Amino acid sequence: MSKHQEFRKSLIKQAVILTLCSGVMAGTAMALDLKGALKDAVNKQLGGSGNTEQPASANNQANASAQEKLANIDWKNPSQEDEIAVGRNVTGTILGAAPLVNDTKLQEYVNKVGRWVASQSERTSLPWHFGVIDSSDVNAFAAPGGYVLITRGLYQRLNNEAQLAGVLGHEIAHVVQRHHLKVMQKQALMDAGTSFIKDKISKNKITQRAVTTGAEISARNLDKSAEYEADSMGTVLAARAGYDAYGLAEVLQDMELLGSNDGSVALLFQTHPHPDDRVAQLSLVSGDQIDKISGGKTLENRFYKLK
Amino acid sequence: MIKGSMIRKNIIALLAACVCNGAIAADTGVVLKPDQLRADAFSDAKVVGTINKNDSVDILNKKGAWLQVKSAGKTGWVRLLTVKRNSAGGNNVAGVVGVATGRSGTGKVVSTTGIRGLSAEDLKTAQFNEAETKKLESYTVSADEAKQFAANGGLSSQQTPYFQGGNQQ
Repeated sequence: MSKHQEFRKSLIKQAVILTLCSGVMAGTAMALDLKGALKDAVNKQLGGSGNTEQPASANNQANASAQEKLANIDWKNPSQEDEIAVGRNVTGTILGAAPLVNDTKLQEYVNKVGRWVASQSERTSLPWHFGVIDSSDVNAFAAPGGYVLITRGLYQRLNNEAQLAGVLGHEIAHVVQRHHLKVMQKQALMDAGTSFIKDKISKNKITQRAVTTGAEISARNLDKSAEYEADSMGTVLAARAGYDAYGLAEVLQDMELLGSNDGSVALLFQTHPHPDDRVAQLSLVSGDQIDKISGGKTLENRFYKLK
Repeated sequence: MIKGSMIRKNIIALLAACVCNGAIAADTGVVLKPDQLRADAFSDAKVVGTINKNDSVDILNKKGAWLQVKSAGKTGWVRLLTVKRNSAGGNNVAGVVGVATGRSGTGKVVSTTGIRGLSAEDLKTAQFNEAETKKLESYTVSADEAKQFAANGGLSSQQTPYFQGGNQQ
């Protein structure tokens, strides 16, 4: 390893990165992007065989019933159950790319922290699920209905529970605000429109396309305002949970130190507002309110260290 | 332009990493909101000065959510959201590093670490994994369990309104 690489490595160890995924909201740019996604999805799906061939459908009954749920989603006005079915599918697809870290204690710990933060939100009744996935990439994902994943690469850069709470708070905010769901709805409704013109496209297929988009969207162009909103809300949710309010801000600011040339963050830096801008925006939005929050805990002693 | 500034940022980060092992050296910032400089990194530490919006500062050190800054000859600690780090003012050796780290000329950032990340393509082509999804769901904890866990750590729910401009409700 060259000296240069060693420097970079040590830097990366010290720095913390955050990457948070993806609420994408509707806008002109997004609509354009969706068309691209739609085209991809159409090509992919139409190239395949019939409706019954879905990535999600394996060969057991649980899957069959999950498929049934997916097939009957009301995209115009999705119920909470619909939302969960969609999110489950998106999450399972991400897990297909990177499985969970095989460490029960870690997964339980992250679920406790995450669920506690989620309990401070407007959507406490969702069945929140949290997981650490085995990828050295630095990223995190939220999917509709209360599914949140963070990568091992991101987790290992955190120093205390307040920072974890801040990161999870950001993802929880995406779910609370239905950032992903809105994008998927848009896609599904666009597809539905197309199906009137072309041959009939099954509802099942429409859903599958929306879900494919959902997984993919986690790594596509992200709407800045959704990210800023999630930073702001996530910070407050962590503070409500009793954590130091600066957890997420710390992660963001340390991220400023991270080189954008590093492979594990390349995608992040391409798809997210620059951490500089996120810090500035959070500063602006929080004003003097954040300084009035006192007594928050960081709990570094309790933070579960990954081997 | 963005690319250039990112490269400069990287350089500064590299220098910081080798010079002082964790502290933030040779870095500058701009003040985002007026604040008091404090003698130490706590909110009730003695006030030793003030800084105003758009003041330039040198960032000397970092401790938790606090930055030690120097502005107009005064040194003190501020909360980290008070200052935005800026990467300008670094020496212009970006080109050298650009080559050294394998950045391509296409505007795409390429991995030089050999670590394969999760790309958009990976996610697009991934297949749903029912077993892992079930495993994920098996770790789910109830609101009550989480509350107990919080209490064990001395955490309790706080009344904190969303920030103004947080676009909530």
